[in-house]
Amino acid sequence: MLRAEGIVKTYRGPSAPIPVLAGVDFSVEAGEFTVIAGPSGSGKSTLLNVLGLLEDADGGTVWFRDVAVTALSRSDKGRHRGRFVGFVFQAFLLLPSLTALDNVLLAGRYVGAARAEGRRRASALLEQFGMGERGAHYPRELSGGEQQRVAFCRAIFNDPPLILADEPTGNLDDDNGALILKALRARAQAGGTVVVVTHRTDVMAGADAVYALENGRLRRW
Amino acid sequence: MVTLLPRLRGYLFTVIGIAVGVAGLVALGAMSERIVRFIEGGDRFVLGQISVAGRGMGMGTGFTAGGLLPAATLRAVAGVPGVDGVQAQVMLPLNPTTSQFMTLTQELVLGMDLSVPSPNRHYRTLPIRSGRFLRDGDRRVAVVGASFAASHGVDAGSRLALEGQDYEVVGVLERMLTAPDRFVIVPIADAREQWVAKDPMLRTLLASGGVALTASDLNTGAAVGWRNDEDPDAVALRIRERVPGVNVQIPSELSRLLRSSTAFFAALTMGISALGLVIGGLSLANTVAAAVFERIRDFGVKRALGATDLQLGREVLGEALGVTLSGGIAGIVIALGLGLGIDAWASRSGQQLFFFSARLLAGALGFSLLLGAASATYATLRVVRLSPAEAIRRGG
Repeated sequence: MLRAEGIVKTYRGPSAPIPVLAGVDFSVEAGEFTVIAGPSGSGKSTLLNVLGLLEDADGGTVWFRDVAVTALSRSDKGRHRGRFVGFVFQAFLLLPSLTALDNVLLAGRYVGAARAEGRRRASALLEQFGMGERGAHYPRELSGGEQQRVAFCRAIFNDPPLILADEPTGNLDDDNGALILKALRARAQAGGTVVVVTHRTDVMAGADAVYALENGRLRRW
Repeated sequence: MVTLLPRLRGYLFTVIGIAVGVAGLVALGAMSERIVRFIEGGDRFVLGQISVAGRGMGMGTGFTAGGLLPAATLRAVAGVPGVDGVQAQVMLPLNPTTSQFMTLTQELVLGMDLSVPSPNRHYRTLPIRSGRFLRDGDRRVAVVGASFAASHGVDAGSRLALEGQDYEVVGVLERMLTAPDRFVIVPIADAREQWVAKDPMLRTLLASGGVALTASDLNTGAAVGWRNDEDPDAVALRIRERVPGVNVQIPSELSRLLRSSTAFFAALTMGISALGLVIGGLSLANTVAAAVFERIRDFGVKRALGATDLQLGREVLGEALGVTLSGGIAGIVIALGLGLGIDAWASRSGQQLFFFSARLLAGALGFSLLLGAASATYATLRVVRLSPAEAIRRGG
């Protein structure tokens, strides 16, 4: 489903380059819930960004369903993200000027989703995650847990086969964290591919595979 | 409405920023337009007629400055081939004190022979704002320019004292933004009386009986027309050659002189316009670009959700145009409010500082939209060059 080979990424530092990923190989199949763990600054988020085409690697290739997606044009990478990848971020990244409902709908805007059908689907998703009454609220009117639920609805709005989650419970209390984890696991059980990066050990419980990122290399636990 | 309000609130400062830039552009442009109208108005007038005055010095002023122009000379001018219509005129300073002379705000009395149609091709009639224009046979009536009316507080139906005589103001001209705004136009017979009353030397001369002058000889100048197939400069030169004792102003030469004497104002106009474009344009471009850069994180999120460069560009451009249009309209309203307010105050002394022409308003709006689009495009190109992850990181 998703495969990466020889991923290399180095950031420019103030005095010297900072190597982050030093030839990472990784693969995950459909229906798997995979966790990539590691301390802060180990490059987990960078790896996730490279896997989701949010950031280009300096070397290496990412395949999605046997297509080398890292070789796609910038526009095709955008289309790939819209159709096949759902992102969940630690900071939620909801647009402050949009309501919860419109934030969810935003995911459909760039893949040509029908508006009326989209509204029905977005409302149903919010309802499913206990946010049915909060669709008209703006992010600033929602708690962190509520915002992450909206962000999760947005991530799965297009029913993408791949979910990439970057510290999805990092800013949440235990109850909301558990709710989001449960939703991610359910997504994998339903056949989706879920990759979560985290430094929290509770997230690793029940994962199909756990990797540790250390010194720029990935090691399976 | 519920979703629109917060979005507008998000753009409020951008709209205000653009409005300030456009207001500056429009206000400076309106001042420039005012000066242009003044120069163009004078140019249009002198190119519409051949102005003839008597040779030498005299009481006449403005475009009829020169010596006495007797009736016999006027008849001789009328007989020159190519001439079509000669209107005797008397032009005098309303207030012949040195402090009034030689200023751009000098108020003038213009006496017109109303038995002859106006030979000026560009001003067959003068536009009337209220009341009526003078008619042949009128006496002791006046039509005043808009600035004169404002500064003297008169309107159609008001009374006016000129050289001790009581006049009824029968009409007020529309504001023309040029010389006639400060004119008091009266029948030529009344102007001749005023001339005699103003000028002790002329009174002494007439009382002495030493020269054979009748009332119809008391003209400071004449407006001369030309036939349709004639070149006005050629007709003017012909008058100069064939009629002795006259000063003839060649229309194109006078236009050139007028333009060279107003070169300072033309340069000032260009300077003001350039300043308006630079100040207003920079302010607007900076505001639009800053508004795009401020939303860099949002754009990163949208690209993560699948927005292509084209989709994002279209979206940003559409929003930038909407915001620029709103800011542009608000800026025009601000400039109009300020300009009209200042002009209301300035009109008490007969002045108008701004002229908001349709071409200025449309031009300012078009310029704003173009600049807004260009700035948004530039900022968007800078933003899309970043990876979505980098855009999200930079947006904090």
